Amino acid sequence: MDPAHERELVERCRRGDEGAFQELVDRYKDLVFALIARTVQDRSRAEDLAQDVFLRIHRGLPYFRGEARLSTWIYRIVANVCVQDHARPAVAVAFDPAISGPSVPDRQFGDLELRDRLEKAIARLPANYRLLVAAHYLRGIQYEELAEALQLPLGTVKTQLYRAKQQLRRLLETELR
Amino acid sequence: MFCDEALDAVEAIAGGELKPEGRIAAHLETCPNCAAALASARRLEQMLQARPVQQAPPQFTARTMATLRRRRWRSEQFLDVGFNVALGIVALVVGAGIWMFVHRSGLVSVSNDAVNVVGANVVSLAHRIAPSVPLYAGATALVVTALGLWWWAEKDAAL
Repeated sequence: MDPAHERELVERCRRGDEGAFQELVDRYKDLVFALIARTVQDRSRAEDLAQDVFLRIHRGLPYFRGEARLSTWIYRIVANVCVQDHARPAVAVAFDPAISGPSVPDRQFGDLELRDRLEKAIARLPANYRLLVAAHYLRGIQYEELAEALQLPLGTVKTQLYRAKQQLRRLLETELR
Repeated sequence: MFCDEALDAVEAIAGGELKPEGRIAAHLETCPNCAAALASARRLEQMLQARPVQQAPPQFTARTMATLRRRRWRSEQFLDVGFNVALGIVALVVGAGIWMFVHRSGLVSVSNDAVNVVGANVVSLAHRIAPSVPLYAGATALVVTALGLWWWAEKDAAL
């Protein structure tokens, strides 16, 4: 979205234009949902959290000063919601022995198994690492924007992402083998 | 010792942000452990890039807007109740103030006289208008019906 249209949309939302807020939800819902769904395994929980993000956006819009891009501000809210959700008592991610046996010749099943292992490994990462991995591999979110959203130096974002991937590799090679 | 340095660079190399050059490139070619780590990091990179992107459910916007309206309605209700309670408290305080003022300043006797005078006048007024009561009642009913019809029409127009 171009900055002028973004400013206009925010201004309309601030004036209480419900249609404008609906447009905002429509525009960002897939991005917000995709980000959250990559950090939370339960789809209905992801929907609840995504809805919570938009309610916070609605509450916070009067205080949004427009210093950062709207999308950056939204990522920041997503990050807060995900970290707060992670602080809740965690649901244990069970390792299903049925799909951990010897490799199956069927390639499709092998891919599914691999993907399942990857998701379980990601679920074991700390919340900030999970969010970084989720956001970095989601099209359109750059390091710079992530750094601004998380209020971290660019170098720290990169280092944390490398560490997250190292941890993931270790999990996939050992515990979830 | 050099393995540590190479292993630190493995994620950046796999992510395409660092090109293996010089000592690191040579080490990766000769050290089987570091080469395996790089291969594993590249596989992980591919898997992460291939992760499916989930889309929001079809009714997501409608549900979010409904939740928003519900919350707004609740907060408005809360405000209404708060306002009414505040109004009641103010009325109570004003009433108590007036009561205290009347009792402490000796105005009770004056107000009793005033009540008697007003009462006598009301009785005489009632005697005078009694014959016209059916006429007044008819006119009032007519006005109330007209106002009711106007309110009903306006309500439908607002929807």
